[in-house]
Amino acid sequence: MNDTTQTPMSAEEKFGRELVARTTFEKEAVWLPSLAVHHMNAGQTFIEGKTFTECLIEGPAVMAVMNGTHFDTCNMGVAENPKTLLLDPRGDMIAGVIGMSNCQFIRCRFVQVAFTGAREMLDGVEKDLLGARGAAAQA
Amino acid sequence: MSLLPITRPVVLAEDFGALVFENVDLTLYDVFAHAVKNGPGLIQGRTFKGCRIQGPAIILASDGVTFRETNFGDSRGDIRNLVMKPLGDKAIGTVPMRDCAFIGCEFYGVGFTGTDEFIAQIVALPNTI
Repeated sequence: MNDTTQTPMSAEEKFGRELVARTTFEKEAVWLPSLAVHHMNAGQTFIEGKTFTECLIEGPAVMAVMNGTHFDTCNMGVAENPKTLLLDPRGDMIAGVIGMSNCQFIRCRFVQVAFTGAREMLDGVEKDLLGARGAAAQA
Repeated sequence: MSLLPITRPVVLAEDFGALVFENVDLTLYDVFAHAVKNGPGLIQGRTFKGCRIQGPAIILASDGVTFRETNFGDSRGDIRNLVMKPLGDKAIGTVPMRDCAFIGCEFYGVGFTGTDEFIAQIVALPNTI
């Protein structure tokens, strides 16, 4: 006998669930706010364990860089001053940002995305960005 | 009579280009995406009244942005958790807003940034939750 008590899943909900279940993204554009909302709808307050390879990561968004998240040969965005890409949280927790834990970004390009996190992380990202700019100038 | 809390059922906004949003619920990036597609790349000259406004987003409050009877969101006991300070002279990744009024609104998963003066005003607010 068929169970007719369950409400059928909408196409949008089905898309969202499939998106949340994915662990790899390759050569595609990823709209970070949308990805975050689908995770929130699935009860996940941050995005975890995904690998993005050669993707365009689009904002507007402020990414909280959490444990195990790494950037390998990425273009972090256009900014004369690397500090423009960083925001400093005023409290111990941060509202409005997209937390990403144990995620890998490989040869990705970020557009309209800024970064935040612990003070050590901010210092590290700033140093990396300055280093990348210096290397580009010497090339 | 107080405008908060908002107790009406959820009503999703449909026209993200509206100048006045009243008693609807919306995600901020939908309004921003519409503004970028059709205009100057910022949310300008809008009034939000009785709205539930969802993030994730960091609002860059520029000139003429006002808040009246607004719940800024769950601060987890420290209002500073709702604000961020740009380390540079711009604030990439934020949602810029100018000449917008929020009246009787509730924010969910939204942070705020702006001038030092604006941040100081937010930090001076009593903790919401």
